[in-house]
Amino acid sequence: MNDQWTDRLSEYADGELAAAERTALEAHLSTCADCRATLEELRQVVARAQALEDREPASDLWPGVAQRIRRGRIADRPVRPDRRRFSFTVPQLAAASIALALISGGGVWLALQPRQPVDGGRGVATPAVWTGRTDAAIAELQDALSRNESRLDTSTVRVVRENLALMNVAIAQARAALAADPGNAYLNLHLADTMRRKLELLRRVNAIAAAQS
Amino acid sequence: MPRQALEETLTADSVAADAALAASGDGTAFERLYRAHVARIHSLVRRMLDADEADDLTQDVFVRAWQKLSTFRGESAFGTWLHRLAVNVVLARRKTLGVERGRYHTGEDVLDGVSGRRETPEMTVDFEEAIGRLPDGARQVFVLHDVAGYRHEEIARLLGVVPGTSKSQLHHARMALRRYLDK
Repeated sequence: MNDQWTDRLSEYADGELAAAERTALEAHLSTCADCRATLEELRQVVARAQALEDREPASDLWPGVAQRIRRGRIADRPVRPDRRRFSFTVPQLAAASIALALISGGGVWLALQPRQPVDGGRGVATPAVWTGRTDAAIAELQDALSRNESRLDTSTVRVVRENLALMNVAIAQARAALAADPGNAYLNLHLADTMRRKLELLRRVNAIAAAQS
Repeated sequence: MPRQALEETLTADSVAADAALAASGDGTAFERLYRAHVARIHSLVRRMLDADEADDLTQDVFVRAWQKLSTFRGESAFGTWLHRLAVNVVLARRKTLGVERGRYHTGEDVLDGVSGRRETPEMTVDFEEAIGRLPDGARQVFVLHDVAGYRHEEIARLLGVVPGTSKSQLHHARMALRRYLDK
């Protein structure tokens, strides 16, 4: 076996040799069965690496992750420096909660609970820094729904539209309240929760529409 | 839109939405992201470090991800961002472990010391295990390039070597692993 060329076979396989070297190596390959065989094996190694399957850990690591996040959420989480005590005006509270109450019977109760996390009580939620990326995701899902609405029966479409309209009102009101008090952590959580509900509704309806195709 | 394409779009939308929700403090959304990505991250860590480190390091990766979510701008897919973060966590861990000795080996006999005679690879060593038995430098380069799809220039930057070193380590790793193709 010609070591001078063998050492370049990986680069050749990856298409990284300059034209002159590639030509010279191909000339060598045409006369060297050992190098041709090695090249084929190297390609198989690459294919094998690319086909490796990912495996879940043997045990569920989430409880440990959640515990560490809870423990470090004040010290580690990059949140607004001016975190304030739970406080907002009655009109703000009403704006954030009235429309949510239409969607969920728990809305008002939720609005009256100071610092209630949105994650079912695990306590990893912190004051929100709304980024707007969810807006883009919602817009895309709504576009998908517009395209797929014809696959759904009219009663389903009506109910979906009514619920989306209610959610839009809730979101608009929560945003208006946040505009007056952008640092209000609980209003941020209200907004996040309503956006999540809207996303889940859109996802579910799109999945149903996809299943009809 | 074909059904599969629609489902893929919905999945990508779902991940993007969960990333945005998690960035705004939604722990449930972050758990969904964890569930969707833990196998890929755990496998990466296991391949780059030892199996007994994989659980702890995987947890470190997700805790770091939670802490840094506000820096995720959505320019790349969330999975890509998370993977790069995981690579950085693993490489930082390597430094603290002082994995420097015997870092760069040459020659295709790099597995011989652990797998019996060169012509007779140990029957119980499968391809994944053989990756784990590569010398550290060859192992990192092989996993990053051939498994994870990084380019030599990027690997060189991450490992603090020149691209030529990355290329030669990759070649030695591949040469060594030829004997484990059927495992």
